[in-house]
Amino acid sequence: MFEELLEDVAQNNGLREVNTTVKLAVGLGAIVLCLLSTSYLSPLFIALVLSAAILLLARIDIKTYAELFLVPLWFAFLSAIVIVLISGGEHIFWSWNPLSFLSLSITRESINTGFFIFCRVIGGMSALLFIALTTPMTDLFAVMRKACVPDFVIDLAMIIYRTIFILMDQVRQIYHAQVMRLGYSTWRESITTFASMCGAAFIASWDEGDDLIRAMDARCYDGKFALMGESRPAGFRSVAALCLFIASGSAAVYVSQGMTLL
Amino acid sequence: MSSIILEARDVRYRYPRGREAITGISFHVRRGEKIALVGPNGAGKSTLLQMFNGMIRPDSGVMLFDNEEIRYDTRSLRQVRRRVGFLLQNPDRQIIAPTVYQDVAFGPVNLGYDEAAVKEAVAVALRQVGLEGFERRPPHHLSGGEKKRVAIAGVLAMDPDVLVFDEPTTGLDPSGSEDLMELLDELNHDGKTIIISTHDVELAYPWADRVILLADGRIIREDVPDVAFGNPTYVRMAHLSIPVLLELSVELEKRGFTIPERKPRSVLDMVHIIEHQHSHGHCCHSAPGTITICNVDMIPDGTIPAWVQERPGIAVGAMGTRAKQCAATEQIALEFTYGVIDKCILRALRGKDSLILTTGNMVGRVSERVEAYGKESGNTIRVVNLNTANQPPVTGLTNEEMKKDDPSY
Repeated sequence: MFEELLEDVAQNNGLREVNTTVKLAVGLGAIVLCLLSTSYLSPLFIALVLSAAILLLARIDIKTYAELFLVPLWFAFLSAIVIVLISGGEHIFWSWNPLSFLSLSITRESINTGFFIFCRVIGGMSALLFIALTTPMTDLFAVMRKACVPDFVIDLAMIIYRTIFILMDQVRQIYHAQVMRLGYSTWRESITTFASMCGAAFIASWDEGDDLIRAMDARCYDGKFALMGESRPAGFRSVAALCLFIASGSAAVYVSQGMTLL
Repeated sequence: MSSIILEARDVRYRYPRGREAITGISFHVRRGEKIALVGPNGAGKSTLLQMFNGMIRPDSGVMLFDNEEIRYDTRSLRQVRRRVGFLLQNPDRQIIAPTVYQDVAFGPVNLGYDEAAVKEAVAVALRQVGLEGFERRPPHHLSGGEKKRVAIAGVLAMDPDVLVFDEPTTGLDPSGSEDLMELLDELNHDGKTIIISTHDVELAYPWADRVILLADGRIIREDVPDVAFGNPTYVRMAHLSIPVLLELSVELEKRGFTIPERKPRSVLDMVHIIEHQHSHGHCCHSAPGTITICNVDMIPDGTIPAWVQERPGIAVGAMGTRAKQCAATEQIALEFTYGVIDKCILRALRGKDSLILTTGNMVGRVSERVEAYGKESGNTIRVVNLNTANQPPVTGLTNEEMKKDDPSY
């Protein structure tokens, strides 16, 4: 029930100490490039580069990465198949009209579109995972402040972030206590047990809220919340790597213009 | 005698729809004191502690801080809470922010410090508790002891005069508790008044200047530890037990040992009493060993391991988190990690040498403590500072024992 969290992985990654803005620029740049590209090659190129960065530079365990990647990939694969079947084209390889208003066909154009979209998903996925796996939430708060997100939203986000882990810890304890007393032995039983866990967690979080206010009061809370500014300068190497990545990505987009699979 | 900083005058408190938790308590705390509030579960310790910084307002009676009655408007409360730092039993409840830095900075930011001052306050506080380099860590990745330290740093960053700890050592392993108590000693040495609540008599007995025994919402006895814990009636009333050292000294006294006026509060004191009885005033060993102190902040890397290597059989102890970290990075095997000074004195009495790694003003404390012991017991133990020893350390730090053992002399 309780696996390792994405956040925990990100807290210990090899690129933790790289400037947050640079990492975000890499991820967002990659997404923009994927959207701009008109061929399946450049998203694949971007995915390859970013996956290499995630595995070799950020030193994320390959199994963790594969697990994270495979779930959305299945979804993308199914979507691509649907696109291939529905969209039409001139070079028809196979077609079937089961109903008057529905025609399924596989054409050269539809295969090209389906594969292109599938590759785009791979590219975009790797970009998102790059951000998620290299930039922990705690670093994003400072970026949010820079991006002019209202203070109260950031403060709330920070308190939520902190309490999520406390609450999870409590839920974990309650869950273990229930399992130890055979709470989930039958299907019916597990529904009641789960419900009682939710109730207990709600009460616990209510208590937690009271305590939080008291703790903040005891420490002279005056509506202000400290933020940790970015203290790590964007080093020459990281900026150079960012430029190189964007440049080679753009070049790949330009060169592969209009290239199709078939 | 120093001035009174906290005072309670006949305070009473009843929980809403509950029984009376505090039934008429009066006492005072002086500046720079170490007070232990000892009592069983449900004695009202936590309730009483929360009155010190105005978290709970007594139903009747007055609380005074710095000889002024605590007022309960927002402004005055902020002032009191800045000067009386409060540590909850569960650090998870105290830590608010998503990173260590942000949490420690919470107080200073809300007190309106500017950014540079906040940074400075956080750096100092983290240094004091030995958590430098933890700034970006999220609290849920820390161990129990580390969380406790983060919570302490958060309070220290506001530079309070009084520190109130509710059950400081619950949930810590024994070595963690010893570390924490050492940290409290260090803070007390820096001039902070410290009040702790606990039901661990073994912990409170050697540490406290004064003990307040509490049961059923009232004070049973308020005195120095050996008197407060020495009376079986009070101890039974408070559902506590007599500290082992105290019980032992009572038994020894019954068997004809001479126990000094000041009851033994450490193994060192006890050993002294027993040895004194045996040798009739003379120390069992002709020449006591030397204690060398080293300030790890002021010594070049690599010096200590080399120094230790030259002296086989020397024991190394570390006081304070920074010294322990230094020992770990320099790969020095530590023999003592808590109660270091006492253990090194014990060793010196057996004619063995030891080295104490420490930091900052703790250096002075070691010599003070050793000197005080020397005065009390009549033994002179030489304390040498490795940092200021001008001569090459080999000649500067030999003693009779080494000369005898080493054929090269």
